[in-house]
Amino acid sequence: MKRARDAWNRFWFEPGPAAALGICRVLFFGSLLLWQLRHDFSPWGAYSSVFWMPIWLFDTFSVPLLPASTIAAVQMIWKAALFFAAIGLFTRVAMVVAFVLGTYLMGLPHNFGQTQHFDTLVVFICGALAVSRAADAWSVDAWRAARRHPSAWPRPDDGEYTWPIRFVWVAMSMIFCAAGISKLRHSGLEWIFSDNLALLLQRQQYHISDGEPWTNWGIWVAAHPWVARGMAASSVAIETLFPLSLFSRHARRILVPAGLLFLVGIRALMGPTFEQFMLCYVFWIPWRTVLSRTGARVVSVSERRVQVDTRTADAPARPLPLRS
Amino acid sequence: MRRLFVNLVILGFIAGSAFDTITDQEHWPFSQYPMFSGTWTSPTFTWLRLFGVTDDGREFPLDANRYVAPFDQSRLPKALKQMLAKPDREAQIRTALPDLYARYEQLRREERHEGPPLAALRLYELEWTIHPDAANVDTPERRQLIAEVRP
Repeated sequence: MKRARDAWNRFWFEPGPAAALGICRVLFFGSLLLWQLRHDFSPWGAYSSVFWMPIWLFDTFSVPLLPASTIAAVQMIWKAALFFAAIGLFTRVAMVVAFVLGTYLMGLPHNFGQTQHFDTLVVFICGALAVSRAADAWSVDAWRAARRHPSAWPRPDDGEYTWPIRFVWVAMSMIFCAAGISKLRHSGLEWIFSDNLALLLQRQQYHISDGEPWTNWGIWVAAHPWVARGMAASSVAIETLFPLSLFSRHARRILVPAGLLFLVGIRALMGPTFEQFMLCYVFWIPWRTVLSRTGARVVSVSERRVQVDTRTADAPARPLPLRS
Repeated sequence: MRRLFVNLVILGFIAGSAFDTITDQEHWPFSQYPMFSGTWTSPTFTWLRLFGVTDDGREFPLDANRYVAPFDQSRLPKALKQMLAKPDREAQIRTALPDLYARYEQLRREERHEGPPLAALRLYELEWTIHPDAANVDTPERRQLIAEVRP
């Protein structure tokens, strides 16, 4: 039991640099804002009630379909919150608003006849970041706080900067794995060894997807059964084995880029728009290493603090003020 | 206290995800991610599609998302299919099509698509036999008119 608890704590709360999480926050909210900037949710509010087929979340909590003008106002606040969350100004409030309003707005289209799955990960990440300390670096808030309390900044490495990143890893792994399990549960190995994928790739050319495939290469793949079956086998393997990337560095080096290529492949050959899901890959980048190699300020603040303390060896180390 | 809270957040997420995966259910944003999990064996398939009718009687498919946005070519047919499965299917479709017509015209006025003004909007069920090159995308084997609306 103790070993399991230690392993759990080591995985989630291994001390990490605030900068890594801060960079992820900037890139995640920044790219999400850019992606959503031109997206208008308000037309959903103008449809008749016959189109309203509420999904579990909206049905259970009686979340209403708001009028178009109200949705327009809500999405303006949401996009402003994404901006503030990205630059790190009033970050806590911004991230909570981004999560709450984002859940409503991103969930809204799924109440109109079909639940699509491009944005669930985005919703979960917004939720995790909303309760994280992602603003302790690379944010206006941190810069202002450092000016007020220079001794307390930059923040030392802490598990608080690790768990949100690992949360994304686990969330992405569970999503990929669940998709793989669904295929095996509903179709078994027939999903791989039949003409299923070939037919699927051909069918997607008939303007039936939420996005047009980037290419018509799916036709070529479908015409070569062993290529199609190889792709099907790779798809199921990547999806079901993806959780290995949580525990093995070697598996991570293969499965994480393979998962990204898989999403790009779906978009290119079949059409479904997984761009939002792809944005979440910023959390897989080893920012500590990247910053070290690019000569940026050393990420490991605790080491830096030791150096400072060495220079002023006679002065007692000042305790760091706790943040709520 | 803070550590306990974070652990509860993590465990809540894992439990919700695992529940949907194990029970093969969907509680968005939790899901079992069933997309494309079925096996396709039939070379034929049917799909609902809107067609616009111009003043001179010419008919053309609204087969691009820009004609039906914010719907898309995946979600809209599925929504319409659900309406057609209801006991009051005719009333449902009679309410839905004017909305889609109005939306098409709004998008046209905003120059979000290049389509012509419509004299009518029709809903068809199309059936294709899949062609290796999708060469018959514009010529389905069967077309069945479901409903028509005129302004």
